[in-house]
Amino acid sequence: MKQKISIPIKKSDVPEKAGGSAKYIADIEFEGMLYAKTLRSDRPRARINSIKIPELPEGYYIVDKNDIPGKNRVKMIIDDQPFFAEDVVNYIGEPILLVVGPDKEKVFEIVYKIKVYYEDIEPIFTIEEAEKEKKNPIYGDDNCFAEYEFKKGEPEKAFATLSYIVEDEYSTDYQEHIYLEPQGVVGIYENGKVTVYGAMQCPYYVKNALLQAFGWDENRIRVVQTTTGGAFGGKEEYPSLIAGHAAFAAVKTGKPVQLVFDRNEDIEVTTKRHPSSIKFKTALDENNRIIAMDVDIKIDAGANAGLSDVVLQRSMFSATGVYNIPNIRVRGKALATNKVPSGAFRGFGAPQVFFAIEMHMYHIADKVGMEPIDFKTKHILMRGDTTSTGGLLRSEVKLPEIIDTIDKMSQYREKYEKFKKKRDGLKGIGFSLFFHGCGFTGSGEKDLIKAKVKLKKKKNDKVEILVSNVDMGQGAQTALRKIVSYSLDKPIEHIIYENPDTDRVPDSGPTVASRTVMIVGGLLEKAARKLKERWNEAPELEIVERYKQPEYIRWDQKKFKGDAYPEYSWGANVVEVEIDPVTYEIKVLGIWGVYDVGVAIDEKMLRGQIEGGIIQGLGFATIEVMNIKDGKIQQDTITDYIIPTSKDFPKIEIKLIDNPYEYGPFGAKCAGELPFVGAAPALASAVQYALNVPIRKIPVTPELLLSYVNLINKPQNSKELRECLTTEHVPPLRDPEVSGTEIAELKETS
Amino acid sequence: MVSAYRPENLKEALLRRKEFRVIPFAGGTDLMVKGRRWSGLAPHFELPVLFIGHLGELKNVELEQNCLRIGSCCTLSYLLENENMPQAIKIALWMFASPAIRNIGTIGGNICNASPAGDTLPVLYAVNASVVLKNTNGIREVPIEQFIKGVGKTVLQDDELLKEIIIPIKSFDTIYYRKVGTRKANALSKISFLGLAKIKNGLIEDIRISFGAVAPTVVRSMEIEDRLKGKTKKYIKQIIPEICSQYSTLIKPIDDQRSNAYYRKIVSLRLLKHFLTKDIL
Amino acid sequence: MKKEINFVLNKKGVNITTDPLRRLLDILREDLGLKGVKEGCGEGECGSCAVIINNRIVNSCIVAVGTVEGAEIITIEGYRKTKQYKLLEDSFAEAGAVQCGFCTPGIIIAAETLLRINPEPNENAIRDAISGNLCRCTGYNMIVEGIKIASQKGKGLW
Repeated sequence: MKQKISIPIKKSDVPEKAGGSAKYIADIEFEGMLYAKTLRSDRPRARINSIKIPELPEGYYIVDKNDIPGKNRVKMIIDDQPFFAEDVVNYIGEPILLVVGPDKEKVFEIVYKIKVYYEDIEPIFTIEEAEKEKKNPIYGDDNCFAEYEFKKGEPEKAFATLSYIVEDEYSTDYQEHIYLEPQGVVGIYENGKVTVYGAMQCPYYVKNALLQAFGWDENRIRVVQTTTGGAFGGKEEYPSLIAGHAAFAAVKTGKPVQLVFDRNEDIEVTTKRHPSSIKFKTALDENNRIIAMDVDIKIDAGANAGLSDVVLQRSMFSATGVYNIPNIRVRGKALATNKVPSGAFRGFGAPQVFFAIEMHMYHIADKVGMEPIDFKTKHILMRGDTTSTGGLLRSEVKLPEIIDTIDKMSQYREKYEKFKKKRDGLKGIGFSLFFHGCGFTGSGEKDLIKAKVKLKKKKNDKVEILVSNVDMGQGAQTALRKIVSYSLDKPIEHIIYENPDTDRVPDSGPTVASRTVMIVGGLLEKAARKLKERWNEAPELEIVERYKQPEYIRWDQKKFKGDAYPEYSWGANVVEVEIDPVTYEIKVLGIWGVYDVGVAIDEKMLRGQIEGGIIQGLGFATIEVMNIKDGKIQQDTITDYIIPTSKDFPKIEIKLIDNPYEYGPFGAKCAGELPFVGAAPALASAVQYALNVPIRKIPVTPELLLSYVNLINKPQNSKELRECLTTEHVPPLRDPEVSGTEIAELKETS
Repeated sequence: MVSAYRPENLKEALLRRKEFRVIPFAGGTDLMVKGRRWSGLAPHFELPVLFIGHLGELKNVELEQNCLRIGSCCTLSYLLENENMPQAIKIALWMFASPAIRNIGTIGGNICNASPAGDTLPVLYAVNASVVLKNTNGIREVPIEQFIKGVGKTVLQDDELLKEIIIPIKSFDTIYYRKVGTRKANALSKISFLGLAKIKNGLIEDIRISFGAVAPTVVRSMEIEDRLKGKTKKYIKQIIPEICSQYSTLIKPIDDQRSNAYYRKIVSLRLLKHFLTKDIL
Repeated sequence: MKKEINFVLNKKGVNITTDPLRRLLDILREDLGLKGVKEGCGEGECGSCAVIINNRIVNSCIVAVGTVEGAEIITIEGYRKTKQYKLLEDSFAEAGAVQCGFCTPGIIIAAETLLRINPEPNENAIRDAISGNLCRCTGYNMIVEGIKIASQKGKGLW
């Protein structure tokens, strides 16, 4: 049954955004504003011997490590990232200092003239090198920012007794956010108080980072979010670094200082999705049931720890996918390399692992002679089952309904059979199942965040929402206003939400992990219901609501035992593709998605999350190639690092399955990350089906598929498939220069 | 220093060209990116630029009896909308960048950039286009393959401007154009392939084959094409390996951020083979 | 060296004296305060800075201001005063075509320049018209829908 709140309303920020009057950080001018440009390391790893700075004209400044009143470390899980490099640099693009002044031309010229004298240190570029290098590690004594292991059941025993074992290895590469608005902040210093304005997801992360960097009293630091042009995790932890820069500069110069990145700078130096390497070892019994799974996950964290520790945890908690496997061992490592730090990105470690587990399940299905959909369905988790960490699934798991619905919508089974029997070009269809753990890990809300929200009834009967959660495009301001409006029974126009300002709003936590609706929205719902009861008490009222953990949550953060997440959202994707037999370009013919996100707070905004998430996920799976060679990003412009355009993917068919969550506002769970998670495995499965080659790596580029050409003609392929390929097939060449024997081969196939 | 000249007419432009070393600036879609420094700053060039994109003398398309004359500063959109434009050119233009780029980018700019991935080049080579270069003393006409000398290199002299492009009129029955780009729109080419053919009485009367982005300049071989002319489908089928092998020595791709040499080479040959076996006969 | 440049901006004559190589985008944003024109990439790839020059969509980040002498330029600030804009805005809201909004003014400009020459575009024509405008939030389908709605409701307007 459709809930009333799910009926779409128009997003309130459309007029100002469409008409161009919304003010993003680069659009705001402050009187006397100076401009900052960052001098960065051009070495992947080196000692800074000296820096030669030209004579500065009056009004121009250098801001560096010596201008930090407190600690030269960006506050994060491990405080290892300096605001400005001290004696060493650890990646190309690491900030060393700022040049600040009134005229951009002069600032640019000064940056250009500064000479940094380095002494190179042997760099570490890959996960393998990071594991091996013990003599001169980047971090600690083993290059490991985080290392964990957890178990369920008795995996050793299972592996010792079972003989049918399937092993696979998968890898995923970088992905860059390409939020359309590049990162930017402005720092201001007035009357002994620093204010930072900027594009961000987490005003209090920024504030806390500044508190540590300045060592000042809390009321001397203020952070204000400005209209934020997309984030996807990219503006979760990164703004803390540049907020520091702008703030130090503002204090030193006494003037407002703007630090806004150009796109290419943004691509080169901001965080990206963690590359990963994921190994599976899976044991089956004689009934083709998976009895044990051993998963080994390694993620490339880059030069600083950042959020890698928690990204790794989420990837580990997703390791066995939506499947009920009695015996599990999961190991994980986040390794340091001399590359730009990896960070938060929609899905936070889960998409990498869901790609891998879904392809692994497909591979096992193939091996045991079952269709992937049947093999997967046979293993799905249900209510009453326990997750990989032993958390009890208390709510109904509607996977059977989800699978049935998507099969009907996409005619998955029918097409799967059809493509098997008769080839109509190189078509394939792929299927993925996935979940997303909603909100923070385990009892993080209770132990770390301790969210607090405030509702303020004003004299004019309007109600203001005071939270630190931001609208970065996902529609938080509309969604939260809608929740309050429905709970209060007041028209939405009476509910006010303004961009968070830490001087006005309590710390309701970061805008991440879909907790804004589920947790913060839930608190606002409670606050609104209280306010409704007390409405006539006084012309002005303030209701404060604090997070209380639902009683059922049990979590042991040390042993990784219990409810890794308070609740889960679930979904399935089907993608249909056709591969060009000449060029191996992938054309996506159809995309389907079915999701259980509890209840939609607004069906249209939810569709926006789903559509955008799927296309981002398909970009990750196909065209978004980013390689780092010798520490340098090869696709370092928006011309070369490409994201999908309007012509790359077709329409998407979506259905929602209602499944209200008791503790979510109006039954809502999480929705922001989920749609991203399932896209890549569905696409890769479709390609795998079309070509009958195992896809073990994303992005699946035509170049990658060509490298499989020799596999394609393996004898076990159907005659039709072989014919379809060989008519077009020029055998692969070991060297671009065609040799005599290869020409002979060419002749044979013609 | 003067950063830019804006002449009133072609004559004045050529005088400037003669007097000073300047960079001709037509649409500017590539130059503005090459010279860019930081948001808010003007792009930087070693020499002053000479705006020519507005010059009426360079913006005409004229249909003559045997040829089409295209002014060098015609925008790609203008050509796309021009009814006299040969189909093969239109197909290439349709896949060129994005509408906003096509609205100011010019055909002359694309030619003079001499990028291996220049999307108008394979078709211009294939249709035997030539370019008319003008200085204050007069004009000279140069076949396009002699005009472009290498990556970013042309024979345009410091005192010359590319005035127009001459395209001999010729119709083809088969046009097989494939731009293998990094994505499906607004993309740079990893490979582009153009095959043109005219068939008469089961024999190949005319055939043109060109490859883009797989060597420093467009790959086209009159010698190989001559071997195919006057032949039957059956004969061509027999000699495909040989043809592939001959083109293979001309195709010298590189690894770069968009693709790799291996893919470029193999897929170029596959496209060729597809054209010769599936498309032409 | 500075030069005098004249053009018509949002129906009003503008006369400025500046370096003719400066980007039109910077002139619009910094000299003339038109901040609705966004800089998303600075290399003509993303379309956030799109404006209409002589009836066509152009990325202002790769236009040297010296080349727009005598041109007629419309930015989102001028366009938002029209009936056509209002309809596009409403249709975009209805379709859920706006998320972070950074690309939206550019896409509105792309929609206008499409509908001007093709008031009833099919889906392909719409996708072509916005193919130079990157959006990372919506995945485009809801934008395509928004333009379709505007085209249907705006019969006779374009």
